[in-house]
Amino acid sequence: MILLSDVSKTYELGQDRTVKAVADVTLEVRDGEFLVITGRSGSGKTTLLNLAAGLTRPTSGTVTLDGVDVWSLTDNQRAALRGRKIGFAFQFPSLLPSLTVLENVLLPTLFAPNGEDDGTTDRAMELIADVGLSEKVRAYPRQLSAGQQQRVVIARALMNRPEVLLADEPTSDLDEHTETEVMDLFRAIHRSRGITIMMVTHSSDLVHYGTRSIAMASGQVVAERDLAHA
Amino acid sequence: MRIAIAALIVVLAIGIGVLPQFTDCQSQGRQLTLENGRQIPMKCHWTGQAELALAVPLLAVGAMMTGTRRRETNRILAAMGVILGVFVMLLPTSLIGVCGSAEMICNSTMKPALLFMGALVIAASLVGLVRSERANYDLP
Amino acid sequence: MTLTRLALNNISASAFRSWVIFLCVLVVAGFSLTITVITRGAESSLELASRRLGADIIVVPQGTEAAMEGALLMGLPTRIWMPRDIVTQVAAIPGVEVASPQMYLSTLSGASCCSVDEMFLLAYEPETDFTIQPWLISTIGRGLNLGEVVGGTYVFTPEGENIFIYGYIVTLIANLEPTGSGLDQSMFMTFDSAYDVARISYSRAEEPLEIPPDSVSAAMVRLSPGADLDQVADAITRAVPGVTAVKSPDLFLSYRQQTGSLLRGITLVMALTWVMAIVAVGLVFSIALNERRREIGMLRALGATRSFVLRSLLAEAGALGLLGALVGIPVALLGTFLFRNLLMSSLEVLFLFPSVTSILVLFIVGLVLAVATVTLAAFIPAYRVSRLDPATAMRD
Repeated sequence: MILLSDVSKTYELGQDRTVKAVADVTLEVRDGEFLVITGRSGSGKTTLLNLAAGLTRPTSGTVTLDGVDVWSLTDNQRAALRGRKIGFAFQFPSLLPSLTVLENVLLPTLFAPNGEDDGTTDRAMELIADVGLSEKVRAYPRQLSAGQQQRVVIARALMNRPEVLLADEPTSDLDEHTETEVMDLFRAIHRSRGITIMMVTHSSDLVHYGTRSIAMASGQVVAERDLAHA
Repeated sequence: MRIAIAALIVVLAIGIGVLPQFTDCQSQGRQLTLENGRQIPMKCHWTGQAELALAVPLLAVGAMMTGTRRRETNRILAAMGVILGVFVMLLPTSLIGVCGSAEMICNSTMKPALLFMGALVIAASLVGLVRSERANYDLP
Repeated sequence: MTLTRLALNNISASAFRSWVIFLCVLVVAGFSLTITVITRGAESSLELASRRLGADIIVVPQGTEAAMEGALLMGLPTRIWMPRDIVTQVAAIPGVEVASPQMYLSTLSGASCCSVDEMFLLAYEPETDFTIQPWLISTIGRGLNLGEVVGGTYVFTPEGENIFIYGYIVTLIANLEPTGSGLDQSMFMTFDSAYDVARISYSRAEEPLEIPPDSVSAAMVRLSPGADLDQVADAITRAVPGVTAVKSPDLFLSYRQQTGSLLRGITLVMALTWVMAIVAVGLVFSIALNERRREIGMLRALGATRSFVLRSLLAEAGALGLLGALVGIPVALLGTFLFRNLLMSSLEVLFLFPSVTSILVLFIVGLVLAVATVTLAAFIPAYRVSRLDPATAMRD
């Protein structure tokens, strides 16, 4: 699915100071797995996610998505690839506040037109129903709770039928109860759609939702656990 | 937006009431002398007084608009604004009028200013009216 | 969900920023339109006034050119006189087809209640006149009788009253079209009427109208076809002592020079405000886009290309520019139209309000310029933001 080969990402902070956020990591995200990446803040997990998504260029190493070297493509091709194959759930509230729930979920269709124009609204409504927010279809993000917003984000992420779902600390702003709801949703999606999920979290309590977990520290993978057969 | 419209109407109302007091011919010391020697104000003065009489309810309309969010009330207030604005424009043109000569201040300044402000009142009120009509619930 | 919808939604999302740009465009577009109307109108009013006079050469006593211009252009009454037989001398010069005399007179100050103080009266000789007389024939089918006058566009008969000139009642027969000049506030009568008024004024008016015997104020000259303007003007100056032959293209020269610098000045101001507006809009966009970095990074992550981001941001800019101009230009047109008299007297520039077709052209040009300007101003910040690495954009 996604292969990160010996990737490093170094940030320059100016005044000749550099930070190596990710250091020589090799990681394979396998088809259909639910990979949970843990680590403290600053451990490089978010950067690793961004590298896997092709959102930031590695200082060294290669990133391959379905056998394609992501950085051999043009920027437009990369954008199209993301639109088709990757769904995102970001850490920050990422719904556009001036659009309704339905319009937000439909947003990805702008970038990766599926050719089935008529079907998209129906599909969006389905997804919104799947995440349990049918009655909020015409509501605006400010009228939803944080947990509900995150569920809309998940629906949006699934809009273009991606092969992999990337989530960056999707539950860090939520209370315990809502966190459980959202994580249950992720697990349900993983099981029912067989979609690959790569999730970053700082909470090691959530590790058990995944089929595999890795831990990061100082830009490197320091531990790995296979949970599928545990 | 509602507050913006209301504030604009209030400001215009003040302008409509106050401006003619300083730009009619009487303020410039020009009056009509009758045959018996009496001096009376020219018609631009009466237009100005009538505008003052319109400015007061218009001010009330604007003030009330700031105080209520209810759709129905705003709709009525906006309609009143339109009507008052129309009369603001009619007074210096057909209802009473101003002096004839182009150089006189009532013609060069007072009348165009009243027409301009009246047009703005109508425009602002129309915007308010449209918003009230289209709102599904009370205005923010 | 389309790019346009997204752009429009983004405009309503950051209301403050959008209002700032909208108002900025509104003010600049409106102001620029007013300046343009004034400068172009000033030119056309001069042309129209010259054409209205219809003369190739105006002969006046030496040193009185400015007074003559003031009368014809601004309606400022003046008293200039030269012996009548100068007209005969001028008419005899080769190349002169007609020389028609005119007298420049004025009403008493405060003549009637609502008229202009001291209105400019122009008396002409119907037998030789080649401007007013032909216009009268074509408009009302006849010339002026004794006691009748023709007025500029602003002259009127006060309701229920008569027009008194030096205690003499005159009848207003017709009004000329607007010229944007002092002729709009002037009255025209025949020589006979003028002499009649003068005669009666000794008994009826507070002050008599004094017309020096055998005198005229100016001679309007029309050239024979093919005659050379400069040659004839020189010939007149040489042959007739004590006069200046003002050629039509040089007419109103001093006025043109004065207003020319004023108009250039305000055009410069207009250009400066455009520049400032571009800078301001660019700044506002920069700030706004900086705040939206995360959102834009997110869109890129979802699959938006750089060009999509750029296009949608420019669409927002263009839409705001369009809206601002759509409101600003008509409002400015209305204001300029309503306040034209005030503008003319305070700026001391005469201008003619443009025709409907000109207005439409100005409107469309204004819209296009507004959209282009705002889009241009937003381009650099939009471009920079669209090139951002999505992950970098989403950091913080």
